[in-house]
Amino acid sequence: MKELDIDKIVREVIRQIGEGTPPQAKSETAYASAAKSADRLDPKKDYPLAEKRPELLHTATGKRMEDVTLEAVMAGKVEPLDVRITPETLRMQAEIAEGVGRKQLGFNLRRAAELSAVPDERLLEMYNALRPHRSTKLELLAMAEELETKYKAKICSAFVQEAAEVYERRGLLRSE
Amino acid sequence: MAVPKKRSKRFEVLEQRPVNLDGLVSEWPEEGLIAMENPFDPKPSIRIAAGKVVELDGKPREQFDVVEQFIADYAIDTASAEQSMTMDSREIACRWVDFNVPREEVIQIFRGLTPGKILDVLSHMNVLEMMMAMTKMRSRKVPGNQAHATNLRDNPVLLAADSAEAAFRGFMEIETTVGISRYAPFNALSILVGSQTGRGGVLTQDALEESVELALGMRGLTAYAETVSVYGTEKVFVDGDDTPWSKAFLASAYASRGIKIRYTSGTGSEVQMGYAESKSMLYLETRCVMVTRGAGVQGLQNGSISCIGVPGAVPSGIRAVLAENLISVTLDLEVASGNDQTFSHSDIRRTARMLMQMIPGTDLIFSGFGGVPNYDNMFAGSNFDIEDMDDYLVLQRDLKLEGGVRPVSEGDVVAIRNKAARALQAVFAELGFPPISDDEVEAATFAHGSKDVPERRVTDDLKAAQDLMKRGITGLDVVKALAKRGFDDIARNILGMLKLRISGDYLQTAAWVDADFRVWSAVNDPNDYHGPGTGYRLSEERWKLLKEIPQAKRPELIGE
Repeated sequence: MKELDIDKIVREVIRQIGEGTPPQAKSETAYASAAKSADRLDPKKDYPLAEKRPELLHTATGKRMEDVTLEAVMAGKVEPLDVRITPETLRMQAEIAEGVGRKQLGFNLRRAAELSAVPDERLLEMYNALRPHRSTKLELLAMAEELETKYKAKICSAFVQEAAEVYERRGLLRSE
Repeated sequence: MAVPKKRSKRFEVLEQRPVNLDGLVSEWPEEGLIAMENPFDPKPSIRIAAGKVVELDGKPREQFDVVEQFIADYAIDTASAEQSMTMDSREIACRWVDFNVPREEVIQIFRGLTPGKILDVLSHMNVLEMMMAMTKMRSRKVPGNQAHATNLRDNPVLLAADSAEAAFRGFMEIETTVGISRYAPFNALSILVGSQTGRGGVLTQDALEESVELALGMRGLTAYAETVSVYGTEKVFVDGDDTPWSKAFLASAYASRGIKIRYTSGTGSEVQMGYAESKSMLYLETRCVMVTRGAGVQGLQNGSISCIGVPGAVPSGIRAVLAENLISVTLDLEVASGNDQTFSHSDIRRTARMLMQMIPGTDLIFSGFGGVPNYDNMFAGSNFDIEDMDDYLVLQRDLKLEGGVRPVSEGDVVAIRNKAARALQAVFAELGFPPISDDEVEAATFAHGSKDVPERRVTDDLKAAQDLMKRGITGLDVVKALAKRGFDDIARNILGMLKLRISGDYLQTAAWVDADFRVWSAVNDPNDYHGPGTGYRLSEERWKLLKEIPQAKRPELIGE
């Protein structure tokens, strides 16, 4: 049976972030270089980010925190995407969580960073497909493939593959 | 026990006491109807091979069900397990209670313990020792509290007024749910507007079916989710229409939108659903706490919750409820510690049950405290309802401790309720929802419960609530509506709630948000209790606020 090694995946993901350009948005290149120079975040000095490191934060459309004001909202300059968290911010929060010894919380936030690329509707469908007796093994494996290729969600893809194995062993797949 | 033919007047009086209306039962260990210390509970054991748990509490890996495999692979630190598991259980209990042993050291030991071992450690402890441990192990320094805001008719105006009052009284969080599920979007909207009128930064949630709850969160109409249930046996987990994998995926889905989440579980749920596998309630609850930790969810609502009648009925049940709260914080999670459902007719029992959390302080002592009359509480009433508020405030004052609420004046409450009702009236008008009349605003301002407010046309409201979802209305539309009608301060607060998602700071463990939208969590406000005079203490300013209740007479004026 295929097993997951959390530490290995986390290391792999951290390495990928370090290396370069996350796939989702254009504005992220700028962030990636900022994060590189910032080294690892220090929970004591850098948290809360909104207060201590606002320069590292931006919205899904590249706006800064201070751009999202009531005046801007009334002028029609703020869209729902402007109050959406980015995968980079989620990875920074993962780093903070790991920095205070909360490995599992960090891992969840890294899965979340990947899922931020998945549209709302599809995300709800994916959750429902993972519920017991909803999917065949092939359907779950196809979903894992979609996560990996379409959304570059490597950790989540492995997580869904693992679920498919466990569901098969425990009889939780949809019987056709 | 035999009742004699001629009745004792003493016993006849006792029979009439409220406590004797409570359902109490004897233990039935074979069926899992036992709080803790069940002889049928699995004996603690662990075996690790090549970094994998291959045996857990006597069961080999190939026989693991979904819950056991998830715990084995995600919740137990294999690097420290063998060492932790060889420690003497009583010795672990001593370190847990001893404030000279730092919290971090205890956290490290528990990273490697199995559910069976944790139960064995707890068997050495009484409630006082558990409370001592809770004081040290809670992750965030300042204790807090949560309120329920619901009503029998899902009346939106009353929901807004009640949540404004709850926020103003000091609750960090407000939870609603529905009578009619199609009302859900309006309930979320009403408590959002209400809470942000009462105090900016109060977090709100709407307890609904999992995917509906997520959809509302994505819209920015709620700030967090809590009723994401996990269970201790595979059968019950699957009956609840989830697995640890689907629930963990859901947790990441929430976080991917920058939304805070905690899970919910509680002793008694498995035996209530008939599949306890001969294990004690606390053994199964320990597995829930470990699933939560494994999923990387920052916190857990437990303390039996909606199943409190079950542990409440058996010996040592209320002790087990405190124990489950303690396990949660010791696995380094935020705890919203229950006290949220009516479980006893006896005021003495419900107070004693509540003191287990109030005295040591938890992240959210009630989850929540009824912010409405018992009859309006759609979570089947709370352990304390708004009718008990003054008693609770006096208890805070009697014991000089933080219960998470402050005394308020009638005039201030009336004003804040009125403002919230008017703000919701403006939002409804601006978004084209069925109008809220001035009479409704007036009634909600002065109401105690839904019996005091005019009925609305439910069919029109339900149609509009569905319309809200179809039109894709988000929190930003609510901000605009409020600002257009001159409620700039409330609009700014709701925008502040939406902006919490940009930084994600409130995704960290035990986070709450103050009136200036500063985030406080276990990261920047860690509990540093290590004996008398340390940890959270009431400041002079806070104590002055808590002790000066309006009912207290000034002695120098008596007799004038």
